[in-house]
Amino acid sequence: MLLTLVVGVSTLWLAATGQLILYIHPRYVVFTVVMIAIGMVLSLGVLALAPMRDEHDHDDPDEEARVASVRPRRPRRGRVAARGTAVVAGATVTVAVAVALVALPPATLTSATAGQRDVNSSTAALKGTSVVDAEAASSDAYASFSVLDWAGLLRQTSDLAFYEGKTADVTGFVVPAGDEEDVFYVSRFVITCCAVDAQPVGVPVQLDDWRSELQPDEWVTVSGGFRTNPSSTSSDPVAVVPDSLEKVGQPSDPYLY
Amino acid sequence: MSSPLPRGSATADLDRPHGHGADHGGHDHEGGSGGGPGHRHDHGTARRRPSRAPLLVAGALVAAVLVAVRLASPAIGPGLLPDTLQDFVTLTISVIVESMPFVLLGIVLSIVVQVWLPQAFFTSWLPRQPLLRRAVISFLGMFLPVCECGNVPLARGLVLKGFTVSESMTFLLAAPILNPITIITTHQAFGWSDGILVARLAGGFLIANLIGWLYSRHPDPESLLTKSFAAECALPTGHEHGGGRLRESVELFRREMATMMPALFIGAAIAGGIQTAVPRSVLVTLGTNPVWSVLAMMVLAFVISLCSNVDAFFVLPFATTFMPGGIAAFLVFGPIIDVKMLALLRTTYRPRVLAQLTLVVALTSAAIGLVVNFLA
Repeated sequence: MLLTLVVGVSTLWLAATGQLILYIHPRYVVFTVVMIAIGMVLSLGVLALAPMRDEHDHDDPDEEARVASVRPRRPRRGRVAARGTAVVAGATVTVAVAVALVALPPATLTSATAGQRDVNSSTAALKGTSVVDAEAASSDAYASFSVLDWAGLLRQTSDLAFYEGKTADVTGFVVPAGDEEDVFYVSRFVITCCAVDAQPVGVPVQLDDWRSELQPDEWVTVSGGFRTNPSSTSSDPVAVVPDSLEKVGQPSDPYLY
Repeated sequence: MSSPLPRGSATADLDRPHGHGADHGGHDHEGGSGGGPGHRHDHGTARRRPSRAPLLVAGALVAAVLVAVRLASPAIGPGLLPDTLQDFVTLTISVIVESMPFVLLGIVLSIVVQVWLPQAFFTSWLPRQPLLRRAVISFLGMFLPVCECGNVPLARGLVLKGFTVSESMTFLLAAPILNPITIITTHQAFGWSDGILVARLAGGFLIANLIGWLYSRHPDPESLLTKSFAAECALPTGHEHGGGRLRESVELFRREMATMMPALFIGAAIAGGIQTAVPRSVLVTLGTNPVWSVLAMMVLAFVISLCSNVDAFFVLPFATTFMPGGIAAFLVFGPIIDVKMLALLRTTYRPRVLAQLTLVVALTSAAIGLVVNFLA
């Protein structure tokens, strides 16, 4: 019951402070809150109604025999030791996770995961804007394109003529580009269901010696046009060269969907 | 109402449905409502029920402490843990937060099945012939659409209601795939292209019935279950202390939560740990090979432990890098066997059974994937 309360309290608090979306997709929020509320009501029911230990009066001999016949026999010594270790390990993990649920501040995934999952590695079929739609869009629409939209477009075409005159205005966190000293990605995570399936996407930004100004994981808003990436070794042929770059706080809804 | 076979001997009959022992001295239950004639324990003189107040107070106190800690925690501030460890925590918590509502839903449905449905609800209309019966059970998921993790408590409830062990396995394996939500989302993601949807549905049905058939031939189905669950099956239902169905419901809830929660925590931690430790690029590079694409996607499905309702959307971006057989294998293997599911299944089935299950399901999923690749 304790674990139920732990999860219930944490989840409801996360929902109340609007941080549940750091962990799951917004479409699940209502369902989650409703089910957790039901769970808490049932937990209350357990406290109020469930038979307590001394109410179990097994004075029925038939039943005793029945239960005893299925009860496990004592295992051999080696298995006892192995079992003991497994139980202790399991209990430790459970307690640690419970503590983390209640005591640690909620967080988004960091650039460590973004690097490990390779920014843009599977953007080929992402939702977001297609080239065809983009051509028809007005210049106002471009201003609201997100990291996801631009990353998808960059995947589909690296024809510089397409990007002529267009300005990207995106917000994301900094992820160093593995193969390039002067390029970093303005990234965000895209989520299908929950943080566990988060895929990082990013727009490459070319800025000489950016490390003197920026740290990985810092959130920035970058605005600028597209140029051919001056570096010949980078895997991104087109990059944004910023006209303005501004550090911002982490937004309350850091993930894209 | 069909009379359940008397339970309680350690050697179960050859795979006959074990109805719940209803023999307190030979009396039958009447739908499990509180106390039929001659049904109550005779405690002799009236027994004073101990006061519930201390328990409620203790519960309230614990909840208050948890809330207080939770409210105070932002003061700790960010950056307490190194990045990788923080991500591990975030991933683990996200698995728990995402699965919890489904586990709860599964338990609620399980309680409904065990306590509030009439005793012979399933035996009356399910076909008697085992093969046909299992085939029909495969489609029960259409009416009970719970995520794969919610199916475990529900399957437990069904066993306690009279399903055989092998029938419960058929249900467990089929329900995550053969349910309306999964079918709709898979169709939304893939349409009919490359036969992925067909492979998923046919594969799920095939595997579920294959496993059910295999285990129906087992001479001692009792031995497939963990000792604690088998002992639970041996307890007669309606161990009434005069509280009736409501009491039974909350007692069931307490028992199921006590079993499921540690399993969920541990499964989530393992899933989060593997994700943090293994770079995804390793898997992605294997995408275009007909054999490796299937294997790599199965490993990914195993590790990522996603709910079957939405895994189609997750795997969609991979569809351009990986061959369709790999995608099909992911969609068939994932809902049945993954880190989180194994932890939850461990509450009910013995490790040896789980190992066998994983092997058979893995081989069949791989075969399906390879066939799809071959035909593509």
